[in-house]
Amino acid sequence: MKRGWIHWDRNELPAAAFEARLNRLRQSLAERELPAVAVYADVWRSNYARYFVNFMPYWNRSLAVVPREGKPLLLCGLSPRVYPWIRSVTVLEEIRPSANPARQLLELAAEKQWKRVGILDRAQWPQEIEASFSASSVEFVDVSPDGLYEPGYDEWELAMRRRAAGMARNILAEAMSHGSEETDYQFVGRLEREFRRAGAEDTVILLSDGKMAPAPARGRVFREGCSVTVALEYCGHWVRLSRPRAAPAVTESLRSYWESLLRDIRRPAHAACYAETLSGPLPYESCDRFALRPGDLFAFHAEFRAGGQRILYGDSCRFGEAGAELL
Amino acid sequence: MLNEARLVQLQDLMAQRGWSFLLLYGHSWRKDFFRCVFNLNFAGPHAAALVTRSGEATVLVSDPWDYETAARAKQVPVSFEPDFGNGLRNWVRKYGGAGHAGAIAGMEFLEARHLDAVRHGAGSEPASATADVEDLRRVKTPEEMACLQKAAELADRGYQHFADVIERGMAEYELVAEVEAFLKSNGAEDNFMLIASGGTEVTGMKPPTDRRFQEGDQVTTELTPQVDGYWAQICRTLVLGEPSPEQRQAYSIFAEAQQAALDLLRPGVDISDVARVQNDVFRKHGFGEYTGPQYTRVRGHGLGLHLDEYPYILEDVHYVVKEGMVLIAHPNTYLPLSGYMVFGDTLAVTRDGCVAMNRTEKKLFRKDG
Repeated sequence: MKRGWIHWDRNELPAAAFEARLNRLRQSLAERELPAVAVYADVWRSNYARYFVNFMPYWNRSLAVVPREGKPLLLCGLSPRVYPWIRSVTVLEEIRPSANPARQLLELAAEKQWKRVGILDRAQWPQEIEASFSASSVEFVDVSPDGLYEPGYDEWELAMRRRAAGMARNILAEAMSHGSEETDYQFVGRLEREFRRAGAEDTVILLSDGKMAPAPARGRVFREGCSVTVALEYCGHWVRLSRPRAAPAVTESLRSYWESLLRDIRRPAHAACYAETLSGPLPYESCDRFALRPGDLFAFHAEFRAGGQRILYGDSCRFGEAGAELL
Repeated sequence: MLNEARLVQLQDLMAQRGWSFLLLYGHSWRKDFFRCVFNLNFAGPHAAALVTRSGEATVLVSDPWDYETAARAKQVPVSFEPDFGNGLRNWVRKYGGAGHAGAIAGMEFLEARHLDAVRHGAGSEPASATADVEDLRRVKTPEEMACLQKAAELADRGYQHFADVIERGMAEYELVAEVEAFLKSNGAEDNFMLIASGGTEVTGMKPPTDRRFQEGDQVTTELTPQVDGYWAQICRTLVLGEPSPEQRQAYSIFAEAQQAALDLLRPGVDISDVARVQNDVFRKHGFGEYTGPQYTRVRGHGLGLHLDEYPYILEDVHYVVKEGMVLIAHPNTYLPLSGYMVFGDTLAVTRDGCVAMNRTEKKLFRKDG
């Protein structure tokens, strides 16, 4: 399910986190002499909007607009009937219905007499919206997310990612210890139940039968020598990890080997390695592990060969000043 | 994976439009244009298929595991490039032919930088093929119908499970967890689901909350499992305990409205009339004001590789219905009698009418304590 229980526990993630992030954004607007910046959000591309205003849509697309002076507002593709609920799970108070976000942004700019408006990470906006900015009397200025959206340097963000990773690790460890004769459908069903009961909004679960690359369940037996890769979203914070279905001692030895690979992540390895950035606008996306920089959040998976089987182990990490570390 | 029948349709379309290549783009939320020709449930965020006038197809993915899965099918050349923009530029140049006029289905949700990459690769400005390809997709092939029927049957079983496991004291999100587990255990690729619970204060559905069900609650849901890429939907309403006379009255209006849609839906009718006959039932009962956007969204929509396909069933949307289309008719709206109520089935348009693909009983469900 796309986005199950969307909730905001203010003890877990205080409003102060958003105020600090918004203040940094406002300061940047002042330096650039921009009166406001627009942040795009849809079902799959909501990391930026979630980071600044805690908005993560379950449907449709919206723009969060952060003025240099004043509170952020939302130009929202969802029905006004759900605005009370949106207000309950975000820092947003003002929400305006917006079937056409580009047009609504232009109307807002006219209303506020903004001649220039910032667009956060303009190149990744959908073409349909981005193209409509070109023919406008308002000047739309690309605002780089660098220095503004830095989840790897934000303690609140890191705490939430660690919570998500811990949830995924614990539930996977428990799930792997039962049901060796089930199908991959049944295994995925069990995981879904546990993840969602624990508060996950979304999951993407892939399975390898030991021969083929991880892919969605296909109705095969999920037995020893198979592996699972889970992407999990908790309160908008994504993590990704891989685990083998194997005896605990085997898993432990793989973990140990994987940690050695992680320590030397920017060196060539004998095992096949896969890296995905968790720091971008999307939940996860393949990246070059040799190009990781301090502050990057990423998932790192290694593939081992044992008895003719491909076995995966992976987890979510941060590239710190002293190198890669487990989240 | 490769949809040969679709490939022929796309070649015809390209010939009509004068396009030398057609690129079908998908990302994680909108995989449908890509999957309509190459039905890979990709996990990476991007995938594209490129079809030439001569009917050759190639695929580009941004995830190494997707690459392995696609290449293993050995149906078309597959390319992998984690930097999708860079990959697009080179791939379009190689397969599309520099300087040739092409088109993109799904162009509107392609990232701006990726469209630039296509422009540079092709050396020309691509046209949007979204509306044309979307129109082709409205009429389903027998193979697509079979997938939709499987999805509809799973929706039926999913709703039965929903009705079986719901209980007082359970939180909305806990019920969703049970339904999600059931659907995935039985082969659903994915599921889209909304829910609401309570009384006349409820004005619409949304993702689940931690609200716990109580005696007398009216619980609405829209279940939409996906099987082999295709989504089918069911909407039903359940009351925990004895439904009130007002809830029964409301349900009878919804049932009458949906039946009016079923009675009318056939090839040749204007889709706006399918909306109008549903709304007319509400008007007849004095609830016409609750058929507008303040209280409801649409009276139904298409289903297929996307769960909210065109045409929308609205009085101001005009489209002549064709045999082979699959739609849901759901007169879901708020009524002061009951709060927000839902009722709908997936319908296949036949030669002389329509048939419901769902088998779930048409009634106001109740669950006694």
